[in-house]
Amino acid sequence: MRTGSIRFRLTAWYAGLLTAVVLALAAILFLHLKNYLEGTLAETQLRRARQISDTLIARVGATGDAYVGNEIASLYAPEKSDRFIRVTRPDGQVIYRSGPPNNQAFDPTAVPSASPETPWESRRKQPMAGGAALLIAAVRAPAGGGGTYLIEVGTSAAPVEAMFRHLLFVLALGLPLVVALATAGGYALVRHALRPVDEIAGKAEQITQHNLGERLPVPRTGDELERLSSALNHMIIRLDAAFQNSKRFVADASHELRTPLTILCGELEDLAQERKLPADHRERLGSLLEEVQRLAKIVERLFALSRLDAGEAQSEWIPFDLARLASVTAEQMALLAEDRRIGLTCEAASPVPVEGDRSRLKQVVVNLLDNAIKYTPDGGAVRLTVKPVGARASLEVTDTGVGLSAGDLAHVFERFFRADKTRSRHPDGAGLGLAIVKSICNAHGGEIQAESTLGKGSCFRVLLPLVDDQPHSSMPQSDSAP
Amino acid sequence: MRILLVEDERKVAEMVARGLKAERYAVDVAADGDAGWAMVNTYRYDLIILDLLLPGTGGLELLKRIRRHDPAVPVLILTAMDATASKVENFEAGADDYLTKPFAFAELQVRVKALLRRGPISRNSTVRVEDLEIDRLSQQVRRGGARIELTPKEYALLEYLATQPGRVFSRTMIVEHVWDQSFEGLTNIVDVYVRHLRAKVDDPFPAKLIQTVRGVGYSLAAGVEP
Repeated sequence: MRTGSIRFRLTAWYAGLLTAVVLALAAILFLHLKNYLEGTLAETQLRRARQISDTLIARVGATGDAYVGNEIASLYAPEKSDRFIRVTRPDGQVIYRSGPPNNQAFDPTAVPSASPETPWESRRKQPMAGGAALLIAAVRAPAGGGGTYLIEVGTSAAPVEAMFRHLLFVLALGLPLVVALATAGGYALVRHALRPVDEIAGKAEQITQHNLGERLPVPRTGDELERLSSALNHMIIRLDAAFQNSKRFVADASHELRTPLTILCGELEDLAQERKLPADHRERLGSLLEEVQRLAKIVERLFALSRLDAGEAQSEWIPFDLARLASVTAEQMALLAEDRRIGLTCEAASPVPVEGDRSRLKQVVVNLLDNAIKYTPDGGAVRLTVKPVGARASLEVTDTGVGLSAGDLAHVFERFFRADKTRSRHPDGAGLGLAIVKSICNAHGGEIQAESTLGKGSCFRVLLPLVDDQPHSSMPQSDSAP
Repeated sequence: MRILLVEDERKVAEMVARGLKAERYAVDVAADGDAGWAMVNTYRYDLIILDLLLPGTGGLELLKRIRRHDPAVPVLILTAMDATASKVENFEAGADDYLTKPFAFAELQVRVKALLRRGPISRNSTVRVEDLEIDRLSQQVRRGGARIELTPKEYALLEYLATQPGRVFSRTMIVEHVWDQSFEGLTNIVDVYVRHLRAKVDDPFPAKLIQTVRGVGYSLAAGVEP
């Protein structure tokens, strides 16, 4: 999962906020509940203490201290109800203290005595060593003798604390679960909502200048995504129109240039062979003619490119052996290499069956070899290799030539592109040869790759889809050198 | 021999007509399809040269009418090779040959001669140019009686030049004939082979037979050039 994606960021924010809100809610709930329960418990103890004060202490002058103790024990049975009751005389003497409670939650004798400054009514939480705290309510009761008796009634906070521990346990377990579930749900929702974006992006990546006729999927949801995708589609339509215009322009222009070129070519040829003209005039006419022919060649190649662009390369589609085509072509061009003392080797083990326009693909081999020979210094080496690589046929032309810089390599298949001065030394082409090679490869469902090191050499690799192996006899073998 | 040229581009028509007249053909020129059709119905022609893009009745339509009228007359198509008129369509419509603009006039001459089946296209098994002797059956070459060993490509090039001694062949024509159309644009290969051929055929002898006409091409002829 990419952490930069909208999907991830939305979910992370959502999960973070959810956790914070739920934690705050749990904390408020916990504190309120704790206050309320402890308050209620303390209130009950206070009522008991008041009861004792009203019913027993008010008459203590008449009944005596011992009577009070007996009455409390019989009326309230604090041990059975797990309560703590202590009555202290004004002089600090404890006249009654309840015994250990049945549930052994606390030790009554270990409860420290209240400070003498205790107000008329008070409550406190008395921490106890080795157990839960005691919630104690204390009431001062006026006695006949002028002093005040201190009545303390308490109960263990253990049940409340146990309940809170349980609540904490449930929250600690439940919270992450709730957050995790909500996050997963949120992620799925966001993903669902953004799936059209993935589809649009995936389709948009596939659209190149060769399939501008295709359109992006438009989700009929009436939302922002529908607007975005139809806006993109309109942009593609405008791009398509612009490309069509420029292609039509190239096709029309190269077409219109043919007639004037025919006239130029014919008249100049006629003159160049006119023996009445002085030799130097004929020489100059010849030079003019060479330029006209170069122009004609450029027009021819532009026209070929516009036809390839228009997808008209599939007229003569046949299966054939690429290895044989390559070795025959290499043989035909051997002299061109030999002339410059360049070693031309060909490694092509038949059969490497491919399908396509044979003469177009031969043009690919010719152009690549011609380039390699042209840009390799005398005495260098050019190697042609054809072999199957996976489900594809690979045709590789490697040279020990001048090579290309990384910057030039990126543009080498562009029309009219010329690398540095070394290349413009050859006025032969017009920088269209490799563009044609690429167009032919594309038209065959293949691709071309180029690697190069400046000063060391280049490698051009054509990859074409392999077809099922054909019996050898069915392969056209017309390409033998005469 | 009478040739009808149907071509709407005045300058192209003039140029082609002049060139053909210099070869002693009788040439009529029609500037559009209707004029062409009228002339086909009036005279008998030995060859019709037809531009495909014509005002009025188009070239392809005229070709079909001509075929209904006279299935035998050879027709040479001149085309600017627009996307709709492919090679195959032209032949299906009844063309005998076709030439793509811009073309070299030398090429037009070669095709016209071939279609009329006349002229000095040598059908003999042995071709002689001065003291050079090419035996097409055994594919052997002798000069001054001495045997010259040639590679198959060198032989094919020499034999092609020898089909019409004195005629200048353009590099494009040579490439298309001796190699194939995939080598189109790779005319430097012709220069290399011609150099090798010269080294064997001309260099040992004082009279040079393979001539270069700058900007046009090569020819096989007795040396007149400096």
